Amino acid sequence: MSQSFDEISAQLQRRHRKSARLKWLSMGALGLAGLFLVLFFADMLSKGLPAFQQAQIRVELDYNEDATRMGRAALDPEVSRLVSRTFERLIPGMLADDPELLGTTETRWVLANAQVDQYLKGHTHRLNAAQQATVDRLAEEGNVALKFNTTFFTSGDSKMAEASGILAAALGTVMTMLVTLAIAFPIGVMTAVYLEEFAPDNRLTQIIEININNLAAIPSILFGLLGLAIFISFFGVPRSSPLVGGMTLALMTLPVIIIATRTALRSVPDSIRHAAFGVGCSRWQVVRDHVLPLAMPGIMTGSIIGLAQAMGETAPLIIVGMVAFIPDVSATFTNAATVLPAQIFTWAGEPDKAFVEKTAGGILVLLAILIFLNATAVVLRKKFERRW
Amino acid sequence: MQTDQLLALFSGVLLLLGLIAFFLGRAKAARVRAGGTAMFAQPDQYAWFAVLTTAGPAILVGGLSAFLMLLLGAEIPPLYLLAGSLAVAALGLAVGVRQVKPDFHARQAIERVIRWILVGAALISIFTTFGILFSIIFEALRFFQMHSFWDFITGTVWNPGASFLAAAGRADEGASAAQFGSVPLFAGTFMITAIAMLVAIPVGLLAAIYMAEFAPKRVRTLAKPTLEVLAGIPTVVYGFFAAITVAPLIVDLAGVFGLDASFNNAVAPGVVMGIMIIPFISSLSDDVINSVPDSMRQGSLALGMTKGETIRDVVIPAALPGIISASLLAVSRALGETMIVVMAAGMRPNLTANPLEDMTTVTVRIVAALTGDLEFESAETLSAFALGLVLFAVTLTLNLVSVLMIRRFREKYRVNNL
Amino acid sequence: MNRILKSRAFKTTVIAAAVMGVAGVAQARDQIRIVGSSTVYPFASYVTEEFGAVTSYPTPVIESTGSGGGIRLFCNGVGEGTPDITNASRRIKSSELERCAENGVTDVTEVKIGSDGIVFAQSSTNAGMDLTLEQLFLAVAAQVPVDGELVDNPYAKWSDIDASLPDREISVYGPPSTSGTRDAFEELVMEAVSEEMEAYGGEGYTEIRADGAYIDAGENDNLIVQRLTEDTDSFGIFGYSFLVENANSLSASHIDGVEATPEAISAGDYPIARSLFFYVKNQHAEEVPPLYEYVDMFVSETMIGEGGYLTDIGLIPLPEAEREMARERVAQRGTLQVADL
Repeated sequence: MSQSFDEISAQLQRRHRKSARLKWLSMGALGLAGLFLVLFFADMLSKGLPAFQQAQIRVELDYNEDATRMGRAALDPEVSRLVSRTFERLIPGMLADDPELLGTTETRWVLANAQVDQYLKGHTHRLNAAQQATVDRLAEEGNVALKFNTTFFTSGDSKMAEASGILAAALGTVMTMLVTLAIAFPIGVMTAVYLEEFAPDNRLTQIIEININNLAAIPSILFGLLGLAIFISFFGVPRSSPLVGGMTLALMTLPVIIIATRTALRSVPDSIRHAAFGVGCSRWQVVRDHVLPLAMPGIMTGSIIGLAQAMGETAPLIIVGMVAFIPDVSATFTNAATVLPAQIFTWAGEPDKAFVEKTAGGILVLLAILIFLNATAVVLRKKFERRW
Repeated sequence: MQTDQLLALFSGVLLLLGLIAFFLGRAKAARVRAGGTAMFAQPDQYAWFAVLTTAGPAILVGGLSAFLMLLLGAEIPPLYLLAGSLAVAALGLAVGVRQVKPDFHARQAIERVIRWILVGAALISIFTTFGILFSIIFEALRFFQMHSFWDFITGTVWNPGASFLAAAGRADEGASAAQFGSVPLFAGTFMITAIAMLVAIPVGLLAAIYMAEFAPKRVRTLAKPTLEVLAGIPTVVYGFFAAITVAPLIVDLAGVFGLDASFNNAVAPGVVMGIMIIPFISSLSDDVINSVPDSMRQGSLALGMTKGETIRDVVIPAALPGIISASLLAVSRALGETMIVVMAAGMRPNLTANPLEDMTTVTVRIVAALTGDLEFESAETLSAFALGLVLFAVTLTLNLVSVLMIRRFREKYRVNNL
Repeated sequence: MNRILKSRAFKTTVIAAAVMGVAGVAQARDQIRIVGSSTVYPFASYVTEEFGAVTSYPTPVIESTGSGGGIRLFCNGVGEGTPDITNASRRIKSSELERCAENGVTDVTEVKIGSDGIVFAQSSTNAGMDLTLEQLFLAVAAQVPVDGELVDNPYAKWSDIDASLPDREISVYGPPSTSGTRDAFEELVMEAVSEEMEAYGGEGYTEIRADGAYIDAGENDNLIVQRLTEDTDSFGIFGYSFLVENANSLSASHIDGVEATPEAISAGDYPIARSLFFYVKNQHAEEVPPLYEYVDMFVSETMIGEGGYLTDIGLIPLPEAEREMARERVAQRGTLQVADL
């Protein structure tokens, strides 16, 4: 039985509508993924931006005899409980260093404690009614205010939320990444050069190739177990140190660098190699003087991306003990240290609610660094990319 | 003397010897060549060869003895070691400089050494795999000596409480036996992975279809890197997001439907993990869909199929092995993901089918066992390695299957860029 | 030439870094090394931070290894690589002290710093609850005696345990088995009660029910608070310090008629409390100069006294006389003998 044209065109319309539905559906999926991203950043910004401001309080300091023993004595009793411990504990030391201060007075802005800060920002706090009234009055007089939080960028971890900062963790990240790069970059590039330029096509080469692909997909926490069992227990590398963290992350970053380097080497056209061989270069000379320089932008891009990945990694570092309490700001390879993501993890577990915004603030800083690194990689690729 | 001082001394002297070797070798080669003799290599190459003979054996000796000391506990006085390896370096220097002869192929010799160095570098990735395997297996075996493998694989109760007591030094105060049945842990892991896949596969695949088949070029160039941002966010950040923002949201949502959800429910980490994996699936699927030959699309459209039908009945089936391979890799990632579940999932080994309850995962237990108040030798600590071993085996299998699938796809369509 | 030098220097650095890793590097020793209990950890890390801030010495390194693990490491010997102080949430045992002595750690000073109480808290919107230790045990134990026989815990509601208790479902959020609070709970509640009960044959029973009434809450204490304020039927088990942090939203039950107040805990009236200690290796005093400066700071009145800084974060101070005794002992560096235990 034949269908009329009307029926056929109706059927066709149905089929095209179905096709259009798929288009809208798939567009919606992409939109949904974009929406997640927007929501995520909005959430982090709203939680984290307050961390860049911190309550400060203007106090009258009276350097009397008692203050040489107990810093609190230098403060008006009404506000002494509102000032951060991290300031008042330094007063006896200040007086000991400079005895001429004794008997003088001074007015200055000092860090308020986290409860005052949280109260001013409208978060939950633990100030009692009298303290709240005092803070309200001081705020009206202009003696309490939220100011840019320099402490956050200049100090290490602290048990007191108002005094905790990311500098110690940032330095730890730098030291750890130096170790990672110093190990992963040369080994990764050498491996890739061997596989692309030297290796015969035999069993061993194939095994190495499969193994590298597999290594790239092994859960990162297992690298932590390797670090614990081999680097720490067997070789005795100091626990919690950037050295052991960097070594562990280096093994993890290795496949990323190898794969990127191989792609970069492969994109160098054979005519370059032929020309170099033609004038009598040895294989190593061809690679060193001609192929590697041409592939360098690609290698750098891959290494930066690998580095960014390693920088955000936490799980293996927990296992090798890099989640430590580090108040001292110092650059070290062998002493205990922590890194930015580990610091975020530590703060996320603090019971004091004032740490929530510190956590989100730390996240913003970490994300900013990672976005900067990735953007650098993109720019590098754009600038030096050569089509042969 | 401190180890680091010794090391500084060693490196310093070695550097000096290397420099001496370089200049001596070059000077000698230059002299020979100036005498009019034709040489097989350039003076610089002889110089580099001398440097290699100086530094290479010395570093080898130093490294080997350090390794021996650690491995076999051999006691070698560090000062003797220092003197010994430096003597080797000096000897190497003499040999290297002696080898500056017109008929010596310095360039080829260097080439051989470099080749071996490169092979050595390439072997490190193999050592890494074996390193992971051995470090897990030895400790896991010690665990299986204490608790049977069969109970570990099939037991449904994970209660390491008593081994904790032993570690706290109160074993003698009496306690029931510890139980290490890993089924609840794996159930939790698979539950969270399944939720993640329910989010990631449809969204990721559809987004890939849109980018590959429908999107204008400008959208494509913009959307792809934007999606990659999702993949670049550190997992600890996702964990915070899941615990602080998503979990309470899920609890509220469940409350609207009159359901009771735990704050450590499996949905929050699952969904967030899914979001993290979206770009992983979409970018791999995008590549695969793009490598389906255009002739197939043209054929299908020529037969009067609509765009949608072409995608559904021609492109996707052709790309299926690649898509499955991408999904398997994604599953393997989700299984091994740690920070999101550590921060957002529960601690209670809980065998349940309700994703709103709290449940724990393999990776959470590994972290808990290696960071809590435990002694290093207790069964609970060792259980982390047993769990790690199973995790390793499962992800390894998934990865290998995924590699095989993609290889089949590649062979079928002769695609070389995957 | 410049290029060669540069690449050579680079190579050497890389190799040096690798070998350094292999050989391990000695620690500088004006940095105190501390291990031990996770219960004492927050207090000790507060003091270490203060110590690092107000003295010229670096901040001591603390690792939370648990009381047992800490004492083991501490007793491994004297000298580089062994800790100088171990924190403990219980007293050292004579067997452990003997092992110390065997390994050459013969001069140990014991310092008692205060107490730590465990509270059984609920949302403060609820009416207060008064429990006995035994009722608490019956609510969370895996097996309980019914008519002299041990059976799986049948109690679903508090009123099932005792008719005088409210008709509310038993739902308890507690610490995971890896935490120090759990250790203390098992010791102070589970064992203390079960040793008195005939059905357990006089032995301590520590197994906690796994049927959903007791929920392992993980380390994220904020989520417990959130949960307790929303699910007002639930109770939470945590350290006294955490109650202080959240005093506006949570209230603690009375146990055996005693409220968890600092006074009741330090006087020993509140039943779920324990003393906190640390142990100092006097043999390290010479080689680690800041050791006793740190100890002195820890036992000073500004830290462990009433209204001291550690009480702000939850330490329950000792009675005045005991604090004096602790300082006295530190001043004399009194050696702990096995006979003292």
